[in-house]
Amino acid sequence: MMDAIETLIPEDSGSAPALEPLAMVALDAGRMLMEAGANANSVDEIVAQFARGLGADRVDLRVGYASLAITIGIGANGITRMREVGHLGVNQRLDQELWHLADRVTRGELTVEQTRAELTRLTTKTPRHSALVMAFAVGLACAAFGRLLKVDWAGTGPVFLAAGLGQLVRRELLTRHVNVFICATVVSFLSSLLGGIGAHWAGSETITTAMIASILLLVPGVPSVNAQSDILDGHPTLGSARAVTVAVILIFVAAGLWFGQVLFGKIF
Amino acid sequence: MDLLFLLHQTVCGAIAAAGFGVLFNIGFRSLPWCAASGAVALAVRTYCLGLGWNLEAASFAAALTVGAAVQVLRARTDISQNALDVVGCIPMVPGSFAAKAILGMFALTSTSNVDASETLITAVQYTLRVTFTIGAIGTGLAIPTLLLRVRVSR
Repeated sequence: MMDAIETLIPEDSGSAPALEPLAMVALDAGRMLMEAGANANSVDEIVAQFARGLGADRVDLRVGYASLAITIGIGANGITRMREVGHLGVNQRLDQELWHLADRVTRGELTVEQTRAELTRLTTKTPRHSALVMAFAVGLACAAFGRLLKVDWAGTGPVFLAAGLGQLVRRELLTRHVNVFICATVVSFLSSLLGGIGAHWAGSETITTAMIASILLLVPGVPSVNAQSDILDGHPTLGSARAVTVAVILIFVAAGLWFGQVLFGKIF
Repeated sequence: MDLLFLLHQTVCGAIAAAGFGVLFNIGFRSLPWCAASGAVALAVRTYCLGLGWNLEAASFAAALTVGAAVQVLRARTDISQNALDVVGCIPMVPGSFAAKAILGMFALTSTSNVDASETLITAVQYTLRVTFTIGAIGTGLAIPTLLLRVRVSR
């Protein structure tokens, strides 16, 4: 019996240390992709692509809401490592760059160290739209949302301004690492109140809808779609965690809207 | 079907999707794809609603169309399939229903609530519509991916 067990324990061939940086680089790629808004299958795929491209024979990944765990093996050696995942946002250009890098790794163009350096470069150098461009775009999107919800033309301008300002405040709060849920309530309160006051002054007859349209920038669309796709793809734990987060965000957003409506009612 | 109304909804869907594309840090060169995705979603949903379908069925048809179109055009766009799917369907996410549903729940706890049963029914109706619509969108997007998947993301 002991002989049988001993045959399962690999000999130390001296190649084990190489597994550590390989596992961490593959985990970092997965973590970055997940933080950029990808679903579990994409994370699974990119981690496997990085690990195999860098020389792993076997790759097994567990994707959790706040952590990733990987087991990789080369020959008879294998290790298991875990990595914490940070705030799940959405960053499409980073997502795109990571897939380009994964293609290069798959083609065998990069070593582990070079890949690590590239990941670090992507973290710091991937461009983002400026705060003003984002505010303008979000304002425009919410104004269009407002039209879809039948906000009249008089209420559309205030929705644009209130949502744009809300986006500027949201970005500032997130930069200062304010809790995401608190941030949602603050921005919801501010944007709905401003949208309501603006629509009132502009003579809109759809003030309540204008207040709601002003906060639609906060609706967690990507997590809600990812939640369902993760469940359908066989990751019910992660999908459920995402769904719960979506529900809690919506409650905090609604709380801000409620405060805004109460204050609006007191003012007018 | 009022063509002017259909055009209005389509343009608004395109603007909303492109705006959210910027928020998701999609590059300017790829934004027309986002706008097209949102336009298709809203055009299909509005057309189906015009045929007398309910919101959930119309949203499902629109998401299915967007999901299939994104699968077909995947090779031509330098943008992840997941992002293009989601951005296109964002204008259909019933955010206002969700807000009204939760506000209805808040109102139920108010001591000055004069007609609690009506408030409850309205809140539950909104909650169910949100749940079914998001479910319809997610399922509509997932079906083409699951059927035609070669690689999950780009």
